[in-house]
Amino acid sequence: MERTEESLTSRTPLHSVVGQRRSKNRSYHQSYRSCLGVASRLGLTPAVTARRLNTNRKASKPHNIAEKVNPEYLALLVKTEWQLSYVTPLYQFRHTQLKSYARQLSAFIVAERQQGLAVEVGTLQNSFKVSLSVVEGMSEADDDPETVLIQIHSKSLFPRQDEPQKLVWSGWLTCINGSPEYLNSLPKDFTCLPLFCYKGAENLSSLVKSWFQRIFDCCFGPLEINHTSLQWLVALWTNCHTEATIKHLKMLWTVPSTPPLQVTYTVEAQDAWELWSSVRRASRGRGDEAGWIDMGEVTSFMQAIKSHFYRHFKLDLSAGALTQVSTALGSAKFSGRIKISSSRCVSTTLNLLTECALLKMPI
Amino acid sequence: MDESATRLLQRIVRRIPTRTLKTTLEKWDRLSAAQRLSLDFTEPKWTLLQKLVSFCEENEFTMKHITELEMIHVIENPDQGMWYTLQLLDPEDDAQSVELMMFREQFKSHLHELISNVSVKIKRHTDESVWIRIAWGDGFSRINHLKPTYVVHQLQSPYVFVSSVSSKRKPLLLQALTLSTRHQAIKDANLSGRKLTAIRDLVMRQYQQVFPSKYPSCLSENDKALANLHIEKEQAEASANRCQLAGEAFGGEKLPELQSAVYKLETKFRDPTNETMMEREEPFRCVVKFTSTNLLESLKHCASTGIASTPVTPLLSSIPSKGRNYFVITDNAPGAASQTRQTQN
Repeated sequence: MERTEESLTSRTPLHSVVGQRRSKNRSYHQSYRSCLGVASRLGLTPAVTARRLNTNRKASKPHNIAEKVNPEYLALLVKTEWQLSYVTPLYQFRHTQLKSYARQLSAFIVAERQQGLAVEVGTLQNSFKVSLSVVEGMSEADDDPETVLIQIHSKSLFPRQDEPQKLVWSGWLTCINGSPEYLNSLPKDFTCLPLFCYKGAENLSSLVKSWFQRIFDCCFGPLEINHTSLQWLVALWTNCHTEATIKHLKMLWTVPSTPPLQVTYTVEAQDAWELWSSVRRASRGRGDEAGWIDMGEVTSFMQAIKSHFYRHFKLDLSAGALTQVSTALGSAKFSGRIKISSSRCVSTTLNLLTECALLKMPI
Repeated sequence: MDESATRLLQRIVRRIPTRTLKTTLEKWDRLSAAQRLSLDFTEPKWTLLQKLVSFCEENEFTMKHITELEMIHVIENPDQGMWYTLQLLDPEDDAQSVELMMFREQFKSHLHELISNVSVKIKRHTDESVWIRIAWGDGFSRINHLKPTYVVHQLQSPYVFVSSVSSKRKPLLLQALTLSTRHQAIKDANLSGRKLTAIRDLVMRQYQQVFPSKYPSCLSENDKALANLHIEKEQAEASANRCQLAGEAFGGEKLPELQSAVYKLETKFRDPTNETMMEREEPFRCVVKFTSTNLLESLKHCASTGIASTPVTPLLSSIPSKGRNYFVITDNAPGAASQTRQTQN
C-alpha cells in the first residue's frame, strides 16, 4: 500500500496515487485549477492562467436534448427559474442507491422538523415524500455522471381520495461536459456533479444541502453568473438563432448613479444575428477552426452592441454592470438564477454553467 | 343604497390606506358630526367599512355621493396608476376665452351626444385644473362605475392628462375634448408616467431651470468626498463644467419624478471597423428603456460624474426640453449621416 503525501502548494503530479484509505482526506486528488496549470505547462492549451474560464468554446452541435430525455423530466426542468449552487465532488455516491437515499433524506427532514427547526405554519399537517431519480440523456460526454433529480412532494397526513401530491421543492445535480482531465483525476469513489439547481422553500433547501453535506462529505456554495459568463451567454444564445429563434436579445445593465439607473437594451433577433455573424466572419480570417467560438469574438460582439448604444446616448455602459441576459432560449441573472425556456440548445447553457461551477469550487 | 354603490364604496375604502381615509372623509363632509365621531380609526379596516356602509344607508346616499368620495381621494392622491399626456392642436379663434362653465357644459353635451350611456362628473381643483370623472356604459348595459376614466385638463394650456381608458372609448373622449376646448385636433404627447404631478411639472416646465452662465458655480456632492487636493485642483474645472452642462440639460434641484423613458431605435449600424454591417440597408432595430425611481436625477448624475459625456446628447436632453418620454429615432434622409431626428409615433 502506497501513500503519497502531497500538499497542494508544492508539486501537482499528473497521476494521483491512491492507496487504500478510510479517511476522506482531500489533498489526494488534483485541484481543478492545477489541472489547467499542468496542461499549460505541457503546452497543450494556450497560455491561460488557471483561474479563467475557457477562452475557446465549441459552438453547440445540434444536440437536441428533447429527443434523448424523458419528456416528463424535461417539462420539469424547462420554464422554471432555478437558483444555482456549486457542489464539491460527492464521496461514495451511488446512482444505484437512490431509493435508499430518498428514504434517508425523508427521515432526516422529519427529524429536523421535530427538533423544532424549519417549522412552517401550515405545513405541520403535511408529510413530505422525497424521491430521487436519474435523468438519463442529459449529458453529452462519456465521462459525465448522470444527472440526478430530487423532488419533494407534500401531502396532508389524512389525504382525501384523489388529492394530488404537491411538488414543493425540486433540485437537480448535473455535470455537462465537465473537464475530462479533472473528472479522470478524481479518485474512484468520488462522483462529480458540480452544478446544483434548486427551487423551493428556503428551509427545505438548507435541509437538503445539510443532508448531502453530512452523508457525502461535500460542500455547497452560491454560484453567481459573473460578467464574463453572462457575455458568453449573450454570444452563445445569439449563435443558436439559426437552430432555434431567440426572438430578441435582451440585456439589463445597472448604472451606478444616484438613484441607480437600469438600462434595458433589447435587440431584434435578426439584427443581433447579423451583427454576430459579421463579427465571426471578420475573425475567421485569423484561421480558427469552424465551430469554435473565441473569447475575442464575444468581446467584439459586446463592444459593437455597446458602441451602437454610445453613439446615440453618449453613455458608456461599461460604467455599469451587466446583470441579466434573456432570450427566448432562457434568462440568466447575475445573482445566480437561470431559467431555461426552451428545450433547444440546453446543453450549451449547462456546459457553460458546469464550467463556472467547477471553477468556483474551492478544491 | 343599491348594490353597485355599496360595491364601489367597499372598493374605495379597501384601497384607501387608513391614515388618509380620515382626511378624505372630512373633505367629503357628508357624514354628520355624530357619525364622524363614532368612527375609530384604530380599528381594523373591515370594521370601519361596515360602519361606513351602515352610515351611508342611514343617510340614503346614492352612487352620486360615493363617486364624489372617490374623486376627492384621486384628486388628493394623483400619483397612482398610469397617466398619459395628450396635446390639443390648432386652437380656434375663441379657444383662449374658454372658461370653466362653458367647458363643462360643452364637454357634457358633446360626450352625451356621442355616447348616451355615460356618467360625467366635473370638478375644478384649486389650481386652475379641471378634473373629470367618466364612467362608461355600453349601449344597453349599466354604467360601470368600477372602471372610471379620469381626465385632468389645465385650462388655458393645451395639455390633457388621461388615466385608464379603453381603446374603444378613447376616440369618443378625444372628440369631446377637442370640441369643448375649441381646438381642431388632439395628439398623443408621448409622455406617460405614474406620477401625475411629475409629468405635469415636466410638460409645463414647472421646475427649476438652469441657464447657461459664464461662471459655472454648481457644487456637486462628490467634491466633499475627495480628500486629495491635487485631484481636486486638476479636476475642479472639468467637474464644474460637467455639473453646469448637466444642470442645463436636466434642471436644478428637485426634478420631476419620471420613472422611465423608452427609445425605439431604427437607425443604421454605423461602425467603420465593421464593413458588413456598414453595407447593410436595413436599420439595426432595438429598443432601449431607461428606468429609475427618479429618472431625470439619475441622468443628471450620470452627466455630472462623466458616465454620460457632456454636452448631453439631444436624445436624453429632449426628455425635459420636449416633455416626452417615448421616442422613435430614425435616420435622416441620406446625406446627413451623423444626425438623427426624432419622429412622432
